[in-house]
Amino acid sequence: MARLVALQLNQLSFSPLASSLSDFSGTRLQNQLQLKRTFRQPKGSFYVSASSTKKILIMGGTRFIGVFLSRLLVKEGHQVTLFTRGKAPVTQQLPGESDSDYADFSSKILHLKGDRKDFEFVKSSLSAEGFDVVYDINGREADEVEPILDALPNLEQFIYCSSAGVYLKSDLLPHAETDAVDPKSRHKGKLETESLLQSKGVNWTSIRPVYIYGPLNYNPVEEWFFHRLKAGRPIPIPSSGLQITQLGHVKDLAIAFVKVLGNDKASKEVFNISGEKYVTFDGLARACAKAGGFPEPEIVHYNPKDFDFGKKKSFPFRDQHFFASIEKAKRVLGWEPEFDLVEGLADSYNLDFGRGTFRKEADFSTDDIILGKSLVSV
Amino acid sequence: MATIASSSSTVLLSASSSNLLPFSHPSTSRLSFSSSLSSSSSSLSISPTFLSHNSSNSRHFVNHSAFTINASAAKKKKVLIVNTNSGGHAIIGFYFAKELLGAGHSVTILTVGEEGSDKMKKPPFNRFSEIVSAGGRTVWGNPSEVGSVVGGEVFDVVLDNNGKDLETVRPVIEWAKSAGVKQFLFISSAGIYNPTDEPPHVEGDAVKADAGHVGVEKYIEETFGSWAVFRPQYIIGSGNNKDCEEWFFDRIVRDRPVPIPGSGLQLSNLAHARDLSSMLTLAVENPEAANHNIFNIVSDRAVTLDGIAKLCAQAAGRPVNIVHYDPKAVGVDAKKAFPFRTYHFYAEPRAAKSKLGWQSTTNLPEDLKERFEEYVKIGRDKKSIQFELDDKILEALKVPVSV
Repeated sequence: MARLVALQLNQLSFSPLASSLSDFSGTRLQNQLQLKRTFRQPKGSFYVSASSTKKILIMGGTRFIGVFLSRLLVKEGHQVTLFTRGKAPVTQQLPGESDSDYADFSSKILHLKGDRKDFEFVKSSLSAEGFDVVYDINGREADEVEPILDALPNLEQFIYCSSAGVYLKSDLLPHAETDAVDPKSRHKGKLETESLLQSKGVNWTSIRPVYIYGPLNYNPVEEWFFHRLKAGRPIPIPSSGLQITQLGHVKDLAIAFVKVLGNDKASKEVFNISGEKYVTFDGLARACAKAGGFPEPEIVHYNPKDFDFGKKKSFPFRDQHFFASIEKAKRVLGWEPEFDLVEGLADSYNLDFGRGTFRKEADFSTDDIILGKSLVSV
Repeated sequence: MATIASSSSTVLLSASSSNLLPFSHPSTSRLSFSSSLSSSSSSLSISPTFLSHNSSNSRHFVNHSAFTINASAAKKKKVLIVNTNSGGHAIIGFYFAKELLGAGHSVTILTVGEEGSDKMKKPPFNRFSEIVSAGGRTVWGNPSEVGSVVGGEVFDVVLDNNGKDLETVRPVIEWAKSAGVKQFLFISSAGIYNPTDEPPHVEGDAVKADAGHVGVEKYIEETFGSWAVFRPQYIIGSGNNKDCEEWFFDRIVRDRPVPIPGSGLQLSNLAHARDLSSMLTLAVENPEAANHNIFNIVSDRAVTLDGIAKLCAQAAGRPVNIVHYDPKAVGVDAKKAFPFRTYHFYAEPRAAKSKLGWQSTTNLPEDLKERFEEYVKIGRDKKSIQFELDDKILEALKVPVSV
């Protein structure tokens, strides 16, 4: 059941981009996957591909991670259904994606319209369809997952997008998958989901990303910096700017999601997925400037305790060190990130912000409060 | 030393990487295997040095490694360690010598200078009898005359744990080449990495071109067939020649504030000396895997400067009062006032994990407890210490100090 959806023309433009890295259709990434698959084939034996056609359900899939993941899965030959409320278009042509690629993808992708909070509907519609594999990339609470498991008793694999936000804050970093988790964190729903999966005996895999970035990001991560750089404004960064965080490109994350599909080594395992290197807040401002071809930014540090911003966020990252080791995923899955930070930010800039598209309008109100005060208190 | 008699003359051991155990107990270390292919019999020697249990009869090994050990690569080696006579790296040679000896290798340790010098009264040198009783040989002299100091003894492997520049190490390299040494190992420094916006320092990252260690690394690469260089950070462990965690214990145990320059968020890396000796031993026993590689020889977790203070306090079972300050504003030289680099200084041991199957066993909360026990045992908590620089800092910040 294919649906070609009218494009929102004021959002996307069609200027082609000459950049081997900015491959929206994932061709370059696709080749990577195929290469690795060839190596795994034992000679002369009956080869059961981990990517033998599967009937895959993605919970969500129309906004960010799913947009890339679904394309990779369809290219691999799987039958992919997106479960969404239908509020956003099921498919959108991506900047840099050829018309033929887009036509092919949108002719193959299937849609199951529903609200995942309607547990009865989830259970009945999923059991009626039957799926081999479920990718849950928008689940937040454990009760959202239970009806899926109930509906699909023969499920081969449940692949869950969790979060590195579940880790308990520590003086010893990076976070490894064996580290203590925080049952009180903002992401405790993710933890409860992981526990539910463990208790149910289903073959599950959990992926814990850190901060995800890339074209179509709806979380204002790189966009926050790009707005200020474009406006020629100083970048206000809390405290020392030495806090260390970590960004992972959405395309690398999508590949990791494909790598765990049908992979015995991923069975009942948790994997941190993010970039190869970490970055300081100050360093990230500089990297964004490089990526967008902006001059070196003026960075202004401030003490967040000196201000009351009300409900507004003055900076898009948690004000602490936050990074995780991807060593397990590299070792066990043979996965590694393609994008380094500046490259990845350039990919995001060239395909999104640099074309005039973004998710949130610029809001410099908290900046002005900070800059106003620091101008006064000399 | 436990031995297992084996009926076959070659031993092949492998461990699947998916069975790696999560690291937990600090005293469990990698087992070192070696088999001697003598004509009469073959035996498998297992070093119990850092084992928490006796596994002499067990064929089920706790093995953190993820690679196959060939018997030919695991034969006993003759190793020469050229060791510095002071400083933070002195401890490396001590632990390495003991681990090698426990694994059945033969060891000579050449310490710079004279046996009778005052420097030899400090750890680890005042414990060198442990090397001798384990079957090692200890000699003293000038590395530039290494050949005559070791008296014509022949070695398979040389570790230079002394020189910081080419002038000092070159004579050792030249002699090793001419004496037919097969593998040259060098303790360099993670301090040579260029500062970066994107930690951690990873093997292959740009280094300071004019750093002395860099000159040595380059020369080794050009000169030797089989080599590896190791870049350490800070080291803790019994037998340390230079204060590390003691700086924090000194203040915590006397209920003094702990002055930390900057935000305290700066990352550092502390590794227990057994992590360094285990990585070096793996390199000796797997020369092909180690060859032509740079290894960050550090633990696999960063700790913030504030974190070190907090963990030391936890180990001591006491509260801690951390005070941050700006060295320039206060007018002190941070290098004199504080024992660690005051900017992010964090390397990760990625090459060792992927190429040698090495695992870190440093567990700071546990290891610092042990360190504090020794700190008290030697009576250092009762020692009278002057805190001039601390007092200057605290005065400038108007922080009260309890008497």
